[in-house]
Amino acid sequence: MTALHLRRAGMALAAILLLIWSLGPVYWALATSLMKPTDIAASPVNLVPPSITFEHYAKLVGGLFGQPDETGIWRDFLRALGNSLVLAGGATIATTAIAAIAAYAAVRLEFPGRNLVFYMIVATLAVPGYTVLIPLYRMMVGLGWVDTYGGIILIYISAYLPLSMWLMRSVYESLPLSIEEAAFLDGAGRLYTMVRIVMPLALPGLIAAAILTFLGAWGQFAVPLVFAPTAATKPLTVLIPEFATKNYVDYGLINAAGVFAMIPPALVVIFLNRFLLSGLMAGTGK
Amino acid sequence: MSTPDAALAPPFAAEVPKPGLLQRVSSDAGLGIVLALPVVILMAAFVFVPVALTAWDSFHRVTPMLPGEPFVGFRNYTRMLSDPAVRNAWWNTWFYVAAAVSLELVLGLGAALLLNGMKHGRRWLLAAVILPWALPPVVNAMVWSWIYNPHYGLLNGLLMRFGLIGEARVWMNDQASALICVTLVHVWRMMPLNAVILLAALQTIPRELYEAAEVDGAGRLKTLRLVTLPLISGALGIALTQSTITAFNIFDEAWILAKASALTRPIQGQIYMTAFQDLKFSYGMAMSITVMLVSILVSSVYVLRIYRETRFD
Amino acid sequence: MSGSGSGKNDKTPNMELEMRFSDHFRARRCVLGLPLALSAALVAAMAQAEEITVLLPGGGYPASVIEEFTAETGIEVDQQTLAWDQLHTRIITALVAGTAPADVIELDWSWVGQFGAAGWLEPLDDVLDPSALEQVSVLPIFQAGGKTLGAPYNNDFKMMVVNTAHLEKAGITAPPTTVDELLAAGRAVKEAGITEHPFGLPLSVGEATSTAWYLITMMYGGDLFDADGNPAFTDPESGGYKALEFIRTAVEEGLIDPASTAYGNPEVREAFKAGDISFILSDGPGPLSTYNDPEKSAIAGQSAASVVPNVSGETRTYGLPEALAVPSASGSKDAAVKFINFVMSKEMQENVYTLDGTLPTRKDALADLNAAGTLESGDAIVAQVGAVGPLFDGGTPPWYPPFSNAAAAAVNAVAIGQMSVDEAVASIARAAEDARAEY
Repeated sequence: MTALHLRRAGMALAAILLLIWSLGPVYWALATSLMKPTDIAASPVNLVPPSITFEHYAKLVGGLFGQPDETGIWRDFLRALGNSLVLAGGATIATTAIAAIAAYAAVRLEFPGRNLVFYMIVATLAVPGYTVLIPLYRMMVGLGWVDTYGGIILIYISAYLPLSMWLMRSVYESLPLSIEEAAFLDGAGRLYTMVRIVMPLALPGLIAAAILTFLGAWGQFAVPLVFAPTAATKPLTVLIPEFATKNYVDYGLINAAGVFAMIPPALVVIFLNRFLLSGLMAGTGK
Repeated sequence: MSTPDAALAPPFAAEVPKPGLLQRVSSDAGLGIVLALPVVILMAAFVFVPVALTAWDSFHRVTPMLPGEPFVGFRNYTRMLSDPAVRNAWWNTWFYVAAAVSLELVLGLGAALLLNGMKHGRRWLLAAVILPWALPPVVNAMVWSWIYNPHYGLLNGLLMRFGLIGEARVWMNDQASALICVTLVHVWRMMPLNAVILLAALQTIPRELYEAAEVDGAGRLKTLRLVTLPLISGALGIALTQSTITAFNIFDEAWILAKASALTRPIQGQIYMTAFQDLKFSYGMAMSITVMLVSILVSSVYVLRIYRETRFD
Repeated sequence: MSGSGSGKNDKTPNMELEMRFSDHFRARRCVLGLPLALSAALVAAMAQAEEITVLLPGGGYPASVIEEFTAETGIEVDQQTLAWDQLHTRIITALVAGTAPADVIELDWSWVGQFGAAGWLEPLDDVLDPSALEQVSVLPIFQAGGKTLGAPYNNDFKMMVVNTAHLEKAGITAPPTTVDELLAAGRAVKEAGITEHPFGLPLSVGEATSTAWYLITMMYGGDLFDADGNPAFTDPESGGYKALEFIRTAVEEGLIDPASTAYGNPEVREAFKAGDISFILSDGPGPLSTYNDPEKSAIAGQSAASVVPNVSGETRTYGLPEALAVPSASGSKDAAVKFINFVMSKEMQENVYTLDGTLPTRKDALADLNAAGTLESGDAIVAQVGAVGPLFDGGTPPWYPPFSNAAAAAVNAVAIGQMSVDEAVASIARAAEDARAEY
């Protein structure tokens, strides 16, 4: 009994430490976003905003609620938020789907050069952004894909596919062959087995791959900086630094925008958690 | 997870010889090619060909301010060896890789084990854990530079409030503390990635295995070492590799906390300065090709090691 | 534009959206229409569709300026903006790839040598409006190889900013005009306990730090290079050497906050706005309006620009203006030049100053604004503008970036106490010679 209590207490303590570590700096961003510009630089430091203001949030979304705002920042902000959602969402769906299929091919379908292809794709994880930047830019300009959702999403896919594919391959490898065997004996085809039988079992892996891709694409900065030059495709990560001009850095506004930017990924995780939980082996009884 | 040998093993159809064996194998190969081809084309166009073009440039002198692009052989590569700035940047990078990879692995595994063992509130803790990763990089950098700010920062403020230090410290003035500060920002941001990868793997371990271990009287640590870690070795390999590669790519964190300071400048910062500020483009690209090769080499050491160690389990 | 903080983002995304839609609509009509209608629509589209892209930092030009330009010329403008820190990466990527980042791009004073040597920009000598060539005194900063590569639109130069209330409290009636007075004033403010560290100066390894060192070099009457292009800061009697000694003693005496070794311009400015600093030694006219804005600053109404102190009786400073340039790879050079001439007119520079605080580069526009009383700290600014010289006589050299970085690193090392002044000047001189040897 006491051992169990001790374990519970230990876990609770670990959870609290983990929360402080993760949320401490996030709290600081939140506190800064609620401070007046004149309270931010204070010594000794203001751990709690001395007076709370919503002026920065009003600038970002006030226009939505009919508040007059001569700066027009809210339009740029909402548009960039929409762009971020489209780019990260599109990249996530495409990458996860492609990784699910390609990794299956890499595990279960014997074709010439299979391992070479797989290892080379995984090796591209190690390609630093600068290594491909200039030739890629030339190609994108040539194809007219700069400043298009499709072009940017394709770059994201090429960046996040290797990790997702590797993750999916290791998930498929851990699935017992006997399940597929049984499906084949029932006369199911390869594609049917892959989509209907194997993928549901691999769901936690797929969800993990989707979370990784979404978060990666959501935080992408270098790619959209170069490939999303206008408001048509520019995501939040590229818009937010513009709140810092050469002469004035609007810390409150930048932090408020950052706090907003954390909401969609947090929602994604809270929502997808359920599928991540669905104990893989629950029904299979290996 | 199983070993690469499992991947190399013939597919199911080959294990059960049947009249249609040949047909099935070839149709499998066909289907495999059809499924893999779009990926191969995409990766070729967006990664392999650009890398090859950049590698080609690295054997030439591509400096837009000088006329022509003559072939220079390995000169851009040999030049690195005698360049003190490059050497210094490499040392900083090795520190980041060693410190970040070990911290991210330990913290990520700890977080994943904790999340996996939780019955209530797991989704909330998981959401909290990934938040650092969701904060846009520029905001992340800004928050941390305020935390480390000698006067107005949280770190000095807290340490002084609790009487741990007498006067404000300038964290970026001393190489050891500067390197640690940069590493912490990176670990804070990237640890969630490991936590998610490892949590997904932990989810695939059947509960019965733990029960069996408990019946055998194995302690928690022994279970972790003998049951858990071998079963998630594949995911550990992925986590280690991605931490290694992202640590080799550290740039923003160092740049925003300490600008171009040589005390913290990583190799990626050196590449940026060489190729984009000083416009010695091909010299910078030679460095970036080197970083790529080194990070592949280092990662494959772990991956092979992990696969070898778990082969007979 | 990077003139001021407020009102930076009055872009009209709605308009852009509308334009995009109407383009699509036009395109669709072409496909579906009768051949006759199709060719007519094509001709109309071609006549109408001249569009240029403009890439600028901050919020770019105010929407009303763009609208006026389109109304006058029929040329549509797709204005693209980026944060200042990221603009350089974006521009270099496109230029190295052999493409135009936009038809009109930002050109910072520090890029001129590189971009000129690379042949990336279109010379503007023959196409710029003659009145602009005449009225803009900082034009030589944007010349490389005898050609004018940029039209300066944002007049930035170094000057000192002081907290007048702090000075009054310390019993100082007028801002210091000599270096000795400056030091005396700093010590007086510190002794009176008004601020612990009266001088604000960025000392991290970045461009803000090297440019601050150049300014203090000029305060001591020095130059960076002699007429033959050799380093002129190694002699202990030279301005550059004395500037490093000034920084070292000021840090040692506590006149400059030791924390400044982690600061760039934004952090120094925050400290000034919080009232923790009495002088920003190396600032510009741009942020003044922010300092005096009670919403953003705790010392509103107390800050004023002040001429750069000196040792010779004559104030000196240098310009760091920003210009508009046309990449050689642009496909709409004529329209791009039209845009540049439009915004470079006297009326438009005055208009933009009132809209977003971008300080005009034209002497006639500055004189007008000062006469009308709309120029903040107008007299000091006009006095200082007369003393603005280029940092490099023949335009910014192509090896400027590595030199600037070496200077910042050395100044930072001196401030931390890792390097003596002698070692620092030697390391900067070595870097300058190495960098020059490559070209």
